[in-house]
Amino acid sequence: MKAPFSVWLTQQSGPLKELIAALSSHYDYISVLATDSAGFRIMASQTNKVLERRTMTTERGMVVRVHRDGLYSEYAFNARDLADVGALAATIRGVLDAQLGILAETGTKVYDTPRLEDTPLTIFSEMETDSLPEEEDPEALMRRLQSFSDEAVAMDPRIVECQAQVSSTHVNKMFLTEHRDERQSYVYSDAWLRAVGTAGDRTEMSYMDASGRRGPQIIGDLADKIRELVDTTIAMLSAGRVVPGEYDIITTPDVAGLIAHEAFGHGVEMDMFVKKRALGAEYIGKRVGSDLVSMHEGAACVVDVASYAFDDEGTPAGDVTEIDHGILKTGVCDALSALRLGTVPTGNGKRENFEHKVYTRMTNTLFDSGEDTPEDMIASVKKGYLLDGVYSGMEDPKHWGIQCIVARGREIIDGKLTGRMVAPVVMTGYVPDLLGSVSMVGREKLSFGSGACGKGHKEWVKVSDGGPYLKARARLG
Amino acid sequence: MTTDQLKQILQESGADAWEIRDTRTAGWEFYFIRHQLDQNRVRDVEHIEVKVYRALENGTMLGNASAEIAPTATEEEARRMIDGLCRDAEYAVNPFYRLNPPAPLQEETRSEIDPAAISRDFIKAMAEMPETDQEDLNSYEIFADRCVTRFVNSEGIDVTQTYPASMIEVVVNARDTEHEIELYRLYHAGTCDRDALRRDITELMRFGRDRLKAQPTPALGTASVLFSTQDAVRIYEWFGSRMKAANKYMKLSDWEIGRVYAEELTGDPVTLTARAFLPGSSQNRLFDDEGAPVHDFVIIDKGTPVSYWGSRQFRSYLGVENGYTARNFEVSGGTGTEESLRGGSYLEVVEFSDFSVDNVTGDFAGEIRLGYWHDGGETVSVTGGSVSGSLREMAGGMRFSAEQRQYDNYLIPGLTRLENVRITGIDHKE
Repeated sequence: MKAPFSVWLTQQSGPLKELIAALSSHYDYISVLATDSAGFRIMASQTNKVLERRTMTTERGMVVRVHRDGLYSEYAFNARDLADVGALAATIRGVLDAQLGILAETGTKVYDTPRLEDTPLTIFSEMETDSLPEEEDPEALMRRLQSFSDEAVAMDPRIVECQAQVSSTHVNKMFLTEHRDERQSYVYSDAWLRAVGTAGDRTEMSYMDASGRRGPQIIGDLADKIRELVDTTIAMLSAGRVVPGEYDIITTPDVAGLIAHEAFGHGVEMDMFVKKRALGAEYIGKRVGSDLVSMHEGAACVVDVASYAFDDEGTPAGDVTEIDHGILKTGVCDALSALRLGTVPTGNGKRENFEHKVYTRMTNTLFDSGEDTPEDMIASVKKGYLLDGVYSGMEDPKHWGIQCIVARGREIIDGKLTGRMVAPVVMTGYVPDLLGSVSMVGREKLSFGSGACGKGHKEWVKVSDGGPYLKARARLG
Repeated sequence: MTTDQLKQILQESGADAWEIRDTRTAGWEFYFIRHQLDQNRVRDVEHIEVKVYRALENGTMLGNASAEIAPTATEEEARRMIDGLCRDAEYAVNPFYRLNPPAPLQEETRSEIDPAAISRDFIKAMAEMPETDQEDLNSYEIFADRCVTRFVNSEGIDVTQTYPASMIEVVVNARDTEHEIELYRLYHAGTCDRDALRRDITELMRFGRDRLKAQPTPALGTASVLFSTQDAVRIYEWFGSRMKAANKYMKLSDWEIGRVYAEELTGDPVTLTARAFLPGSSQNRLFDDEGAPVHDFVIIDKGTPVSYWGSRQFRSYLGVENGYTARNFEVSGGTGTEESLRGGSYLEVVEFSDFSVDNVTGDFAGEIRLGYWHDGGETVSVTGGSVSGSLREMAGGMRFSAEQRQYDNYLIPGLTRLENVRITGIDHKE
C-alpha cells in the first residue's frame, strides 16, 4: 500500500502559495517547508507502560525561508492563521526586519550568499509501506510488546526488567516555492528490546533493535532475538575489562556502521567545509583508507529510516560515493553550503523539525560489501576482539579523531572465540589509520536505523548506518 | 484551539483525570561564521500537550495516553483526538496514583524577558571576546527564547510561568605555523552573562593554545584523573540518576534510602541538593512539568541517600508525596583544597570528544582531546587515547573540592578526583 499524502497539508498549499506571492515584493527568494507527521510510541515493560501519540519526528508546522541582500532569514510558526495571508506576511516582514535592526545596531556584517535558483520541479511521492501507524491496533501492539518483555524475564531470574518499544511515524512534508511543488509521504518505524540484568552489585543491560521504512509490525523482527538478548545480558554480568592497547578487531555490521557514521559521515558534511571545520576538504582525491574501503551516503542508497524523496530544502534524494577504494571522492552538501562552495547539493539538507535550521546532515551511511566471511575473519586473528553492540560515538572532523563506545568485545585467541567478554569497550583512533588498517570486508551489508544523530550536541535527526563485517586494527580501552 | 477550549473538551470526555501543558515560545536565533551573520531566524510556536487518564479495575489501576494537539486543530479534530486518547489509555495501564493537587507557588520575581535584548547582549559579548591572531572564534550560534507555560490538570491546578531559555554554541580555533585545531562548547543559560561567557571562552582559548603543543597521551595503565571542567557534571548526574524514582522503581538503581552509597566511603561524601533556583540557570521554573511547585530539598546527605525524586507516578509508587522533577542541583560536601587535590601524579582532562556516563551501569568513558599530565612537578599537555572506568567502583574513593563552580543548572565542586582510572595511551601496543 502507499502512504497517503496529508489532507491537511493539501489544504494549506493554496494559502501558502499566496503567502509566497505576498512576500515576493519584499524578498527575492521565498520557500516554505510545511510538515504534518503523525505517529506513536508504545512501550511495555514489567514496571511501566506508555502510549504516546508522538515520536521524535511527529510535528505540524511551517518554516518560511527568505533571501534579500545576500542574507537568508527564516520564520518558523505553527499557530498562525493562514486565513489572512496578508497579515501573516506583514508579521514575518516585521519581525525579521526587527532582527536586522539589531544587526545594524551592533555593526554586524552579513556572510553574503547568492540567491538560490528556483528551477521548476514537481514531485509527488507516496511511498510503499506495509501498514500505516494511524490504522494500527494499539492494544494488539501493546500485548505483543508485553509478551516480549514477559518472555525475556521468564528466561532467567537475573533478568530483572525488559523494556520493549516501538515508534512509528507517518511523515508528510511539502516544499513550495514560486516554481516548485514537492510533496512526499512515507512511513518509518523503529523498535527495540532492552534487558537489564543484575548479579551481586553489578547491573548490566543490552539491547536488540529493528528499523525500516515500514509500519509498526516491524516488532515481529524482534521476536526471535529475545533468547540472544537474554544470553548476551547474562554474559555481560561477568564481563571483564579490556587491557588498554591496540588490537586486531572485527566489527559486526552495527559497529561498522558507527565507524562509517563517525569517520566519514560527519567528516564530510560540507557545511563544515564552509566554516573550515573539516580536514576532509583538503583530502578530496586523496587516500583515506585501504583499497578495500568504499562508502556510500544518501537518502537513495538504501531503504531505511532516512530514505526520503527530497530533503528539507527540496533537493531530490541522492546517493553519493564518498570513498571509492580508499580514495575520498566527495562530501555531502545542503543547498546553501553548495552555493557558497560552488558545488551542487546532494539532498542532505535536513532540519530536526520545522522549528530548526537546515544543516548538512547524514541520511544513510554505509560501507560497501567485500568478499570475506566473518568466520574467515575470526580465523585470521591471533589476538583480538569481535566488537558488537553500539552505545555512542563522537567525531572530530577537524582532526579526524574518532570515539566509539561499543557495548562489548568477544575475545579471539588463535583464530577462535574464547567465550570471554569485555564490556564496555572504548575504541579511539585517527580515522585514516583506522580505515587504512581495514584488511578484510564481509559480503553482506546491513543498515541500522534505530538511533538518532546530533550535530555537535544538538539538532537530532533520524539516520541509518551500517555495512558488512570489517577486520581492522584499533586502540581499545 | 486554546487551553480553555481543551479543558472544556476534556471535562466532557470520558477521561477520569487529565493534564494540559501549553508552552508558547518566542525565539530569536542568530548564526555566525567568524563574525559574519550566516542566517537569522525567528520561532513563533506553541506546543499543547495533553495527557488523559482512565481509572480501571475498580480504581486500582490507571491507564494513560498522551499526544500533542496542534494549536491550529479545529474543535472537531481536538474532540476526535481526545476520544482516541481515552481509548488508548485502556491499553497502557499502570498501578493507580493521584495527580498532583494544587499547591502554592513561589512568587515570580523576574523582570520582563525580551529575546531581542538577550540576543543583542550575546552578539555584543561575542564581538568583544579576547581574540588574537592565534586564537579566535570560528563560528557561533545564539538562541534566545521567551517561554510561557501554562499547566492545568483535573485536580484543580491552573498555573502559568514565564521564563527565559538561552543557548550559545561556540567553536574556537587555535593555530600555529603548522596546524590549526578547534574546541567546542555548548552553553545553556537563562540570559546572557557576559562576564561568565568571557571567562569561559578565554579559558577555552588557553586550552586551544595548549592543545597545539600537546603530546600523545602516554600509556599510563591506570592513573588518578582530575576533572576541572563541565564534564564533571556527567559524574554528578549519575548520583542524581541513582536516586530518580523511576530508575529505582524500574530496578535500574539499587540505592536505598538510609544506606551509604558505597561500601567503603573513603573519599568525600556527596551531598546532593535539588535547588529551586540557581542564578543564571536555564532551568529556573516555578513548577515542574506536572504542576508541582519547586523547592529546595536534599537528595543525598553526606553520602546517605535520603529522598527519591522525579515524576509524580514513580514517586507515588515509592511513597514520596512531597517532591517534583528537579532541574537545578547543587553538589557539596567536598573537603579538598586545590593543593590537596592536585597532589602527586595525575591526569587532568579538560577536553573530551564526548565524556559519557552510563546511568545504569555507572561505566564512564571519553576520548581525550586535551589533558595535562602532572608528574613530579612537571606538567605536559597531552591528547589522544581515552579514560574509562566505573563510578560504581570509584564513587566511594572520589574526592572533590569545597570550592564550587556553576555550569548552567549544576553547581558542583570545581575539582573532582577519581583514582585508578584506566588510561589508554596511544603508544601502547598489544
